[in-house]
Amino acid sequence: MPAAGQQSLSRKLTRMSILVSATALLLACAAFVAYDLATFRQAIVRNLSVQAQLLGSNSVAALVFNDPESATNTLAALRAAPNVVSACVYSANGLPFAEYVRTKEVSPAPRAELGEGEEERHWFRRDEVMLVHRVVFQGKRTGFIYLESDLQTLGERLKRYVMISIFVLLGSSMAAVAVSTALRKTIVKPIEDLAAVARSISQERNYSVRAVAQGAPAELSVLVEAFNEMLVQIEQRDREVREARDGLEHRVELRTAELAAANKELEAFSYSVSHDLRVPLRSIDGFSLALMEDYGDKLGEEARGHFERIRAATRRMGLLIDDMLELARVSRAEMQRGRVDLSGMARSVEAELRKADPGRRVECVIAEGVEAEGDARLLRVVIDNLLQNAWKYTSKHASARIEFGQMSLNGSRAYFVKDDGAGFDPAYAGKLFGAFQRLHGAVEFPGTGVGLATAQRIIHRHGGRIWAEAEVEKGATFYFTF
Amino acid sequence: MGGFSPVRGQQSRPSEYQVKAVYLFNFSRFVGWPSQAASEPLGPFAICVLGKDPFGAVLDATLAGENIGGKSVVARRVAQAQEATNCRVVFISSSEEGRLKEILGVLDKASVLTVSDIPRFSQHGGMIEFVLQGDRVRFEVNLASTAEAGLTLSSELLKVAVAVRRSAQPGG
Repeated sequence: MPAAGQQSLSRKLTRMSILVSATALLLACAAFVAYDLATFRQAIVRNLSVQAQLLGSNSVAALVFNDPESATNTLAALRAAPNVVSACVYSANGLPFAEYVRTKEVSPAPRAELGEGEEERHWFRRDEVMLVHRVVFQGKRTGFIYLESDLQTLGERLKRYVMISIFVLLGSSMAAVAVSTALRKTIVKPIEDLAAVARSISQERNYSVRAVAQGAPAELSVLVEAFNEMLVQIEQRDREVREARDGLEHRVELRTAELAAANKELEAFSYSVSHDLRVPLRSIDGFSLALMEDYGDKLGEEARGHFERIRAATRRMGLLIDDMLELARVSRAEMQRGRVDLSGMARSVEAELRKADPGRRVECVIAEGVEAEGDARLLRVVIDNLLQNAWKYTSKHASARIEFGQMSLNGSRAYFVKDDGAGFDPAYAGKLFGAFQRLHGAVEFPGTGVGLATAQRIIHRHGGRIWAEAEVEKGATFYFTF
Repeated sequence: MGGFSPVRGQQSRPSEYQVKAVYLFNFSRFVGWPSQAASEPLGPFAICVLGKDPFGAVLDATLAGENIGGKSVVARRVAQAQEATNCRVVFISSSEEGRLKEILGVLDKASVLTVSDIPRFSQHGGMIEFVLQGDRVRFEVNLASTAEAGLTLSSELLKVAVAVRRSAQPGG
């Protein structure tokens, strides 16, 4: 839609043609009137001159034989010339001889004068023209005729011209409107068509329509062709984008399916491996124990030490298998969502930890009323792993502080477990949550390296995120969100 | 310029015969002579005074340097009507009142404009007669006489004449 104050093209064209024709006509009229008035003025002067000559030759005898009455009678004939305001006959020495006035209030000049060698002179004063003519009879300067004429006819003529000009101007303006309306179709129609096509395209997003250039002027034809060419290009680009997108979607689907299959296979594999590994492990442990009990006294001190090491190794392997089974389980288990009291969970974990290791001096600060939405069994595993982690990595310090709570982070809720233990080098933060990845030696801090991987898997299954911040020997903080 | 100055009051008025001298010349300018007569008398255009001259030097002064139709104008004094036949204009002095009929009889045959201030001159067959209206010099015209002599008078002249006689009224 054109904005308010914007004029349509056709209106502009119409106005332009009116303006052009009016300007041309006005100039022509003005020039014509000016020329005609100038000529008409000359004609008035010429007429007056002729009148003066006639009056002169008719007054010769009166002048020569000193008969002012006769001259006055001659001048009286001017009643027939209404434009003559006053007239006067002067004798050769320039003094009045006979006069004529149209109305009482005018009076002719008291003296007539002409330059030497000058036979006639005229001048304009306001809306009057004056003329002095020398009367010459048989080569003798006999007197003067003075005539004063108003320019009323000139004014009337001017008025008439102005009226005519106005009528012509009105008529031609109307004609210009008519003509421009007819011509408008050849220019405005193609543009309007083009605009309609463009509008329909932008509204319906149908790039297959084409504008028609038939009958349009050359420049518009070029515009319409360029417009159509652009549409062709847009259509082609559209097709290419659609094809690329379809291909991409197909590939993603394919890969996702492959990935899911591989994952499933891997889980099944690791589950069966873990499960099947237990049987031989139990045999090794059981028979080692039997050997120790039955033949322990026959064996030397060194052999007994070796048996102890075999049993410790089998126990460690059992733990590893348990953890792997746990990891597999949290990946496969069905989620049962509900409201979970994380504070209570943390307190029960703390109690277990204190019971297992009563000698430790650890201060536990657990925030009240921390709750979350999720699977209670899985979240228990997360809290368990993180608090155990903190307990474990503060064990080298004489006293420790472990804190659990929640905070607001970028407008959403985050939970944290904070300790002041061994910490780790932040450069390795990325490896922290990988399965079997450990930043500390097993002798320094025992563990399988599966706990944090399990916690991360559970958090991911809840659609959340887990990360850690730490410094060596200054403790670590684990954050997680849902 | 031989024109009359129509100054009213103030300046000293021209005398009666000064005016008449100017009129004599001016009549000549409004009168046409038959072409035969115009070509016959070679020499100057003569304005004659018949009888006792009332003008004196005034007439000569008035006509000095003037010309009509390319001919210089001269003043002549004649005693006999016979001598005046070669003149174009003849002023008949009042001294000739008694011989008027005889004089006109002679001049009728020539194309001569006769002018006089003898009372009832025009009624007796004279062509132009000076009359006084108050102190203004006017004139009467006998158109029948001029027509008979083959002279043509300008209508302008007739317009300023006091009276124009159109039919011959001999005697009267």
